[in-house]
Amino acid sequence: MNSGLKSGLVLLVLGIICGTLLAVVNSLTAETIANNELIEKNAVLEEFYNLNNYDLEEKTFESDEVSTIYVLKEKGTDNINAIIYQVAATGYNGPITMLIAVNSDYSIEGYTVLTHSEDPGFGADIVEKDFLIESVTDLDPFDSVAGVTYTSNGILGCFEIVAARAGQDFGGGLDD
Amino acid sequence: MTNRENLFKGFVKENPLFVSVLGMCPSLAVSTSLENGLGMGLGVFFVLTLSNLIISLIMSNEKLAALVKPVRIPVYIVVIATLVTIVEMLMHAFIPDLYKSLGVFIPLIVVNCIILGRAEAFASSNTPKDAALDGMGMALGFTGAIAIIAIFREFLGAGTITVWGNLVINLTGLFDFIGITPIGIFVQPAGAFLSFGLILGTITAIGNKNAAKKLAKEALANG
Repeated sequence: MNSGLKSGLVLLVLGIICGTLLAVVNSLTAETIANNELIEKNAVLEEFYNLNNYDLEEKTFESDEVSTIYVLKEKGTDNINAIIYQVAATGYNGPITMLIAVNSDYSIEGYTVLTHSEDPGFGADIVEKDFLIESVTDLDPFDSVAGVTYTSNGILGCFEIVAARAGQDFGGGLDD
Repeated sequence: MTNRENLFKGFVKENPLFVSVLGMCPSLAVSTSLENGLGMGLGVFFVLTLSNLIISLIMSNEKLAALVKPVRIPVYIVVIATLVTIVEMLMHAFIPDLYKSLGVFIPLIVVNCIILGRAEAFASSNTPKDAALDGMGMALGFTGAIAIIAIFREFLGAGTITVWGNLVINLTGLFDFIGITPIGIFVQPAGAFLSFGLILGTITAIGNKNAAKKLAKEALANG
């Protein structure tokens, strides 16, 4: 066997060892990571509404834009009081995922950025900002930030996705 | 070289950041607060020590070294990338806050020149014990250097020093006392370059002065 092939095989073996190691660590940590994210998300949901007062229904979709909606119904009935959307739109460095809480009168109870990969000092600074939107029926007051157009557009994009489907959802659509 | 020398040379004499000027990208990017700097240092410590150890173990076996030699750079990268990914997953699971604030710079440890540099320049031609000590020393030197930049930037830029989590030293009173506000640009990316330049310049100036003194002393001694 020539030496080049042997070297390649050594690299292959090393790759297999490292890959196995990563798989092991991944299987050990995946559950904790998922749990952490769940706890964090529930804490965020609690910021908008006291979840004890509602029946919470969670719906997940395959879509890139709307991954999950949390439907808050009046206890024991089918009346939808509010919907919290987990939506994603493209920012400067990648997707920005937001939670947007909408009341049944289409007013926005609150919103927060869950994950983003915007640049520290630029896009990353504005994700916590108040964007002046109070209702999904009127996105005009959106306060875009000069110099971080892509990040602003990503956040506006999240609101637009919600605006496009909120009417249907409160009418009982709740589909993908 | 003795064990001591191997460990301590990374602190000052061969400091990766201030002397070799390696690993600038992550250090400039995460030095916005002391906490981030220490977190980055922790990650680098783990990766650098283990990568130096593993690479030295591979290369000190003569038969294996001969096989690995033609493909050594990919081998280094595979080892380093595996370690970094492990760090990333552990941090994500157990220190989620730090994971969030370091963000993209954890995976970027893979391409941190210090780690590849030490693998090629030191670990591949030294014993595993020396290599591990060298890795620890270099990582601590890197952490110290990044901490200095972070303290400098955070103090001037925000008037605070975030040691860890909620442990924040608030020095804004000092700024109020002088009657100025903190200089915001220092926590911005541009401020990283300014800070690094100022600190590196100061260190070089002190080094030059010491060297000149030493030369003068020698000249005197030689008559």
